[in-house]
Amino acid sequence: MNWNLSDNLFGFDDPDSRGQRIFRRAFELFICYGVLSLAWYWGLYTLRIGDVVLELGLANWLDISFMHGNSLPIWNAGLITAMIVAGFFRLGKWWYSVAFVLLLFQYAARFTLGEIPHSSNLVGMGLLGFALAELFFPERTSKGRFALGFSYFFIGLGYTSAAISKLVARGITWPDGHNLWMWINEKAVDEIARSGFVELNVLQELALSNWWIATAFLAIGLLTEAFAWLIWFKKTRIPVVWGILGLHIGIWITMDILFQLSVMELLLLALPWGAFTDRFWPEKVVGITQS
Amino acid sequence: MKGKSLTKKARTVLLAVLAVYAVTVATHLGEFWPFSIYPMFSQGGNPWSRALVREIPDSDSISWSPVALDDMPGLPYGVATNGVDPIDLANFVSKTQTWSTDRVGALSLMLLSNREADPIRLQVFRVQARLTESNDVDIQATPYVIVGTGIEPGIGSLNPVLVP
Repeated sequence: MNWNLSDNLFGFDDPDSRGQRIFRRAFELFICYGVLSLAWYWGLYTLRIGDVVLELGLANWLDISFMHGNSLPIWNAGLITAMIVAGFFRLGKWWYSVAFVLLLFQYAARFTLGEIPHSSNLVGMGLLGFALAELFFPERTSKGRFALGFSYFFIGLGYTSAAISKLVARGITWPDGHNLWMWINEKAVDEIARSGFVELNVLQELALSNWWIATAFLAIGLLTEAFAWLIWFKKTRIPVVWGILGLHIGIWITMDILFQLSVMELLLLALPWGAFTDRFWPEKVVGITQS
Repeated sequence: MKGKSLTKKARTVLLAVLAVYAVTVATHLGEFWPFSIYPMFSQGGNPWSRALVREIPDSDSISWSPVALDDMPGLPYGVATNGVDPIDLANFVSKTQTWSTDRVGALSLMLLSNREADPIRLQVFRVQARLTESNDVDIQATPYVIVGTGIEPGIGSLNPVLVP
């Protein structure tokens, strides 16, 4: 097996196919969709924000309150939309980069109330990958391959970093089931805050009634994160993506947290869509005759 | 452009981004979107703080005493009905150091801005939990603020112990 990281991430010398091209374009389309949904969701939410409790991102460097109390977030969402459409239809190489910068403002304006979310990071990194691909790579195939490889790299790095953060903070006792008890209760309170009521599901009840089961859930999650870097390599990529998807489903069931865009992105990466497409819609090869 | 040269360029761009990533997260407490060290859930077992809102009918008196989760006064109220993210509310309540008139006004804007004109009185609670020595989860709710239609936001609507 080839363990060369660059070859595994980018594969610039690999043969290309119709299926691979469609897959890369579909991935780009998903990132565009993710960016637009974030830009508008954040923009509309920001309209109700009247004070800065915690500065995040760009707000560390500039007073982001100029985005509050007016319709700037909506104008910004509109501009991001125009940039993304222009970028997707290849109307210039700078559009994705400008959209990325505008999205930094949108994020900083939205998350000033203290919440530090992580559900949008993968989409943000995906956009950065396509922005850099447009700036530094010459033609469509290499741009797409770089952007995809860039996303694989930072997905692996992100989840592995999450495991390292846990081990640094709590050591190997992090998977202690009591921690899950605290989080289940915390998320139950969030649900009461959200809807007024809460009803625990069977898995939550099971974890709360048995320390060993709660500990096993956390240990499996930690191991999955710790080996997420294996997504960098072609041979291990798909099983690792499924493992991370399983982790997200576990988090969803036990703690009622669903990182929707991250899960959608992982689902797109979890199956060999390119190979499927090539199998059922093969490209005609011109100039080769069978003897 | 040949594959080798593309690979070299890809490696250079990736390493440059990695360097910016490392510098920004190192200098901004692990977070500079979209860069992050992803520290969520790393602090297992620590006490936590959240927020809940209860609707207090006009006929009920206002109490500022801490209560258990099952003994909260008034009626259940879900902040999602007004489009508010409960995590925002929780952070707003827990991270506010000084409860100024502006801060109470911002909380009132958050909870009431999309509401119809129906009169309503909402009490915001800070909910805190900790693991006891016997490994039980102890949860307590402390009333912080009253907001509502017809209530002028100000320090008069605060729990007296929070008045700056």
